[in-house]
Amino acid sequence: MYDFLIFTITIAGIYAIMALGLNVLAGYGGLLNFGHIAFAGIGVYATGIAHARGWPVLVGIPLGMIAAMILGWAMARLGRRLAADYWGIATLAVAEILRTVALNEDELTGGANGITGIPGLFESVASPWDQVYFSAVVLGIVAVTAFFSARLGDGRFGRALRLMREQPALAACMGYNLQKIKSHAIMCGGAITALAGSLYAHYFNFAGTEFMLAAETFVLWTMVMIGGMGRTAGVLLGVILVQAVYAFVPFLRDLLGFGSDVAGALRLGLIGAILLICLLWRREGLLPEKLRNPA
Amino acid sequence: MTQSILEVNGLAKSFGAFQVLQDVRFEISKGDIVGLLGPNGSGKSTLLNIISGFIAPDRGSVLLDGKSIASTPTFRIVKEGLARTFQLPSMPQKMSVLEVAMAADTRMHGVMSTLIKGPSMRKAERATHERAMHLLDELLLTKVSHLPASAISGGQKKLLGIVCALMARPRLLMLDEPTAGVHPNLRQDIVRALHRLNEQGMTLVIVEHDMHFIREACNRCIVLDQGHIVASCKPQELTANERVVQAYLGSTVAEAEVQMEVIEQ
Repeated sequence: MYDFLIFTITIAGIYAIMALGLNVLAGYGGLLNFGHIAFAGIGVYATGIAHARGWPVLVGIPLGMIAAMILGWAMARLGRRLAADYWGIATLAVAEILRTVALNEDELTGGANGITGIPGLFESVASPWDQVYFSAVVLGIVAVTAFFSARLGDGRFGRALRLMREQPALAACMGYNLQKIKSHAIMCGGAITALAGSLYAHYFNFAGTEFMLAAETFVLWTMVMIGGMGRTAGVLLGVILVQAVYAFVPFLRDLLGFGSDVAGALRLGLIGAILLICLLWRREGLLPEKLRNPA
Repeated sequence: MTQSILEVNGLAKSFGAFQVLQDVRFEISKGDIVGLLGPNGSGKSTLLNIISGFIAPDRGSVLLDGKSIASTPTFRIVKEGLARTFQLPSMPQKMSVLEVAMAADTRMHGVMSTLIKGPSMRKAERATHERAMHLLDELLLTKVSHLPASAISGGQKKLLGIVCALMARPRLLMLDEPTAGVHPNLRQDIVRALHRLNEQGMTLVIVEHDMHFIREACNRCIVLDQGHIVASCKPQELTANERVVQAYLGSTVAEAEVQMEVIEQ
């Protein structure tokens, strides 16, 4: 039971970091990134590849963050020629291309087998404390990320980003280089999400393309949307709600006695239903973005 | 001889087959308050959009203090000292009036400086806050500073647009119909505020329909009709100019509306 609780907390924490990353560009910046999970995939594989090459364990984390920033920069370049909605579709395509490459490439990513044997962060600690420590580290990173992402949103960069989201012409007239702001927002959100990806790989001791499915991007979007786009507390609430549903389904399965495939489908169905209810009743999420009044 | 701050030469722009501007040329001297008038569809807004970098001209040059700014991105032009306001400003829903005004100070808006929030950032924030409050006060927006910027009245949005433009401390400010839809009492305040800015050395270009306002506020005016400059003179001389009278009284409202539709297409 405690194992399951620790597991749920850890996974929720990792998703919270990813969702906070998505919030920087989607919540503050209004950028429709439908390929956000690609950043997590880059983190996952950076850690996997660092391990496979025999580099020190933690090298994968900065490596993944840097690679994600490069990908973010490239994605932003793509946006120069595309309107916002088309850019969203393009990001989905980019993420799918990266996933397909990772799945079919053998040298670097290990193809369909992925990369196994990635060490956890607390190998020398006896079970179950290694899990407890890991979840504590994840929660610590969530707290730091939440603090800094709120600061980013409230501060000068966030102000420019939110103005660009709502009134791009006005923002340009004030002297903001919108392309640069967009680019930095994507790089910033991407780096945060890659960090979560690396943690994911350490936690499951595995790097594979299962983490990069398009459906995962939509789980992140659901979390941000039902919680409240552009508000840190809202995003965290959304993560908790979605993860609670995920954790609750296995109990339901045991209670009602249906199979694992049904449970998987039920999870997605429930998330879809929650998203739909939210869109109909609280379009801005459970904790909508507030007016910030600089003191 | 007075120095010119803005020099427009041979500017032309067409949207499809419709020639909006043809060989537009004029100069604006430092320290002037210039009224830019013309009937609907005469090309005023297009001219403003080209000068402020929103659209590129087909031909011609725009020089700000002798430096070419045609086809330069808007954000660079703002940094060169030219700011503008919009005819129908729309404001964000999720930002307060004060926050929008503060956003108009674009210094130090990088990711790292925002995350670190060191002493220089705190100092800059205090200075920005103070300046925004001062300008909001000057343009009578203190009472609504905490409201969502989208919730204030149309006239107040225009004032907020001016506040935003002033935050950048421009040398040349172009205002697109600053007093249309603004209460007469407030209009007097705007005129006074503009004169004050002018006394501090700012050059102003004001797009206006209202002759009365032009006479009250401007010391020179340029009249645009069907994409041509038809007059460049003192406001008092306007009514004596045949082409101006024709431009204003010769075209019917119906014709003007047809022109507007063509532009929108």
